[in-house]
Amino acid sequence: MPIEFRELSYVYSKDMPYAYKALKEINLEIEEGKINAIIGETGSGKSTLVQHLNALLLPSEGELEIAGYTIRANEKTKGLKYLRKKVGLVFQFSEYQLFEETILKDVSFGPKNFGVSEEEAIIKAKEALKLVGIDESMYEKSPLDLSGGQKRRVAIAGILAMEPEIIVLDEPTAGLDPKGSKEMIGLFSKLNKEMHKTIILVTHDNEVVYNYADNVILLSHGEIVLNKDAREFFDDKELLDRLHILKPQIVELKELLNAKGYKIGNEVRDIKALAKAIKEIKKHE
Amino acid sequence: MNNLVFGKYMPLDSPIHKLDPRAKILAMLVMLVAVFMPSGWYGYLIIGVVMILVIRLSKLKLSFVIKAFKPMIFMMCFLFIINIFGYTEGTLLLSVGPLKIYWEAITHTLYIVIRLLLMIMITTVLTVTTKPLDLTLGIEYLLKPFKKIGVPSHEIAMMISIALRFIPTIIEETMRIMNSQKSRGVDFEEGKLKEKIMAIVSLIVPLFSVAFQRADDLANAMEARGYNPSGTRTRYKQLKYEMRDVILIAGAIIILVMMIMLAIFL
Repeated sequence: MPIEFRELSYVYSKDMPYAYKALKEINLEIEEGKINAIIGETGSGKSTLVQHLNALLLPSEGELEIAGYTIRANEKTKGLKYLRKKVGLVFQFSEYQLFEETILKDVSFGPKNFGVSEEEAIIKAKEALKLVGIDESMYEKSPLDLSGGQKRRVAIAGILAMEPEIIVLDEPTAGLDPKGSKEMIGLFSKLNKEMHKTIILVTHDNEVVYNYADNVILLSHGEIVLNKDAREFFDDKELLDRLHILKPQIVELKELLNAKGYKIGNEVRDIKALAKAIKEIKKHE
Repeated sequence: MNNLVFGKYMPLDSPIHKLDPRAKILAMLVMLVAVFMPSGWYGYLIIGVVMILVIRLSKLKLSFVIKAFKPMIFMMCFLFIINIFGYTEGTLLLSVGPLKIYWEAITHTLYIVIRLLLMIMITTVLTVTTKPLDLTLGIEYLLKPFKKIGVPSHEIAMMISIALRFIPTIIEETMRIMNSQKSRGVDFEEGKLKEKIMAIVSLIVPLFSVAFQRADDLANAMEARGYNPSGTRTRYKQLKYEMRDVILIAGAIIILVMMIMLAIFL
């Protein structure tokens, strides 16, 4: 079942002089089992949209259907807590959610809240920590003593340990070093490919979108500009120019080469394939 | 948390917003003294009507200010219970078994409650119509004469403005951490006592760690820019009293005098 937004609006500080409509009659369908990237400038409503997915924000108007729940404006939906188990939301700068004495305890906090027994929660926590690459020797350390990147991993493990079906990540790589962010994105890709989790990723990094996402959702001023297959999106030069999208380096390079008379097709998507294509062309010259 | 009316500045365009912050602070102090005069029902009626007029003038919705009263309901009940036991003589109103409720207990509670409500009204109007920065600027100016006797007026103003500046930030931070923990299945509204304690711990630990980090960053940033509390500095914004400010203070003093008269002659 896809995730569906129907005519959904959200107003911050409703009934106040400074009320602000952050989402405007959104209609959106997000397919399950894919990596979906949500892009858009700061203040376009990405974070607001994402917080609807696990009912932290409830729609001011319209409705949302997700993971078997239907959330309508001005209507109480029961069991929203368990929606949060199905939809794991990792916040921007998620490292601030750590508070337990040890890493293991912190990661097992989520599953325990959803009624998993102590022992089982520890097993799940260990699995999640393994996934994010935290070494067993660190399990008993305080999460507050870790480096920024490690904290982020522990925080993400804290969500993964809940075994959500849908994983929503708000800028998971902000502030991480290049190697760390690559590993992080690799992990999400793995979760999608191997465990068939739906990934919804808010990001500013078009390289990430280009390399990993199946689908692109572009938001601007609280409205959906497009919801499109990622490949089609990045192959459409006019569209990218019209929307002032910063092109991924490969796309840019292909454009420059094609302008010089090379004929490099859309199927070339990474640096290796590009090198190969150039080699082919050179051979024929 | 979004219902936190008390002290939240509302950017409206009204004559009250335009007043000099020093005049507003002074007028507030005078009015607070007036509220504490034992001037009886008539006195409170006068102050109440004046305050409602002021709220009207400041273009605030009356319901908005009344929202600030809500947290007082608990206080009222508490006061009432204390007063029931506190008054052992006077006009008997009701007697339930050994418990005797006197008319005085009720009137006395009402007196205190009305005073508190008027105080909230007065201070809310001040903070809601004055930008926090203007408010601290006003405090700094007003404290200046006390510098001679060793009151560090600039430092106090700086501390207040930093504290005020960080209220929204800390609230935002709190909301963010709450949301993160809610996403991990924490229920802040319901649950057993043990779960509730855990919920609070999961909020407070990160909040403190973030607050200390922020304080550290801010101190470093200030030092990096060469901040020296005792240095002499000029200001872009100069405060100047105008006719309307004089009228405001005069009005407040007239009300105070009226209250004193009422207290003496009634």
